[in-house]
Amino acid sequence: MPSPEGLPVVVISCQVLQDVLKRLLPEGLAREVIYMDYGLHQVPSRMSGTLQETIDSFEQPSLIVLGYGLCGNGLRGLRAGKHTLLVPRVDDCIALLLGSHRSYIREFESVPGTYYLSKGWLESGSHPLKEYNEYVPKYGPEQAMWIMDQQYQHYERLILVAHDQADMEEYRPQAQEIARFCERWGMRYEERLGSDRYVRRLIELVMSAVKDTGILQDQVNGDFLIIPPGGEIRQEQFIR
Amino acid sequence: MSRVYERLSTAILEGDAEKAPKLVERGLEQGLVPKDILDNGLVPGMNEVGVRFKAGDMFVPEVLMSADAMQASLKVLRPELVASGAKLIGKIVMGTVKGDLHDIGKNLVGMMCEGAGFEVIDLGFNVDPEKFIDAIKEHQPDIVGMSALLTTTMRAMALTIRAIQEAGLRDQVKIMIGGAPVDAEFAERIGADGYGSNGPAGSDLAKKFVGAA
Repeated sequence: MPSPEGLPVVVISCQVLQDVLKRLLPEGLAREVIYMDYGLHQVPSRMSGTLQETIDSFEQPSLIVLGYGLCGNGLRGLRAGKHTLLVPRVDDCIALLLGSHRSYIREFESVPGTYYLSKGWLESGSHPLKEYNEYVPKYGPEQAMWIMDQQYQHYERLILVAHDQADMEEYRPQAQEIARFCERWGMRYEERLGSDRYVRRLIELVMSAVKDTGILQDQVNGDFLIIPPGGEIRQEQFIR
Repeated sequence: MSRVYERLSTAILEGDAEKAPKLVERGLEQGLVPKDILDNGLVPGMNEVGVRFKAGDMFVPEVLMSADAMQASLKVLRPELVASGAKLIGKIVMGTVKGDLHDIGKNLVGMMCEGAGFEVIDLGFNVDPEKFIDAIKEHQPDIVGMSALLTTTMRAMALTIRAIQEAGLRDQVKIMIGGAPVDAEFAERIGADGYGSNGPAGSDLAKKFVGAA
């Protein structure tokens, strides 16, 4: 792998991680940080196109950190070009918010039908109540609720993931309002203190990679993926 | 070709669950062949839904409404299809795999397959490999269909295929898969026989499997 040593660092991330990245990214580490509209999540096929354009827009070979997971294959097929890509090896942002792949799998296996809320997701993303409110003017209340039922009737649980108690308290009222709406499908409400451990490790990795590239190589097949120049992101790289 | 076909396709595309079955009735009154109403009116409408959804020009609510219009149309058309001598062309067992509770896509494929003349045994969602195996033993289907919406759960398809293999049942069924995160390449990698990108594509594949395409 050609050495990304001394490469300028660029962060391209989903808006959902904006808060945690702003808090953890040391000043001056990244030459540029770009937050992308969460709405790209709705159409993964468009997500890769938009991300590719953004990656390609950088002239100088860079270490590009993607604040994403596989995200419904939204990252699949992304080409590194002249850059080196660094991506957390997760399905989506939930593992990043919970702090590890294992925590996500543990939650997933205990109740597969879980809808996750977080600060970032509440501020810039969507949730069932917001969706319903968007559907009503378009389809009328009855049809809107029918659409909601089709999508959420098998869900069992709503979880608010917060990184600290202050966030939990700030976002609890909104989460509980959504939870009341979701009671319609028998969903129960729970809270989890997440962890910024995963994002912290990502940033530490970038900081060490700037000094010593050997560290990057050690991470391949672990919790992070490194795509060397000329490489491409493949779906199976995320499967573990 | 009758104007009814075109208007029917449009009604399906627009998700008009009132107009679509009425157009089916009108077509039948005009003496159109039930199978032609399906193949030239309803199916092209759903095909277009699939194309637009994939391109991001249609979203889940619109797809649901189109499916509802399709369902309402099939309700009117199915007795006529049967009366006109359309035979069952095969049997399919299908379900959303373990860990996944999203069934909109699977239901769509099921509906299209039923429309095409299959008997569909729907195992629901979050279906264990063992449940697939039991259903294969009990119903002796020609085809097993599996669906998943999440990249987290698509690997359960591979596990299910392995379990079917270990149960010694792999050779007696064709396996088709579908769902947002998967594709033909994934299907091949996990040893499925085929991949369908949407409802109509799923039923086309099923027809091919039983030699009815």
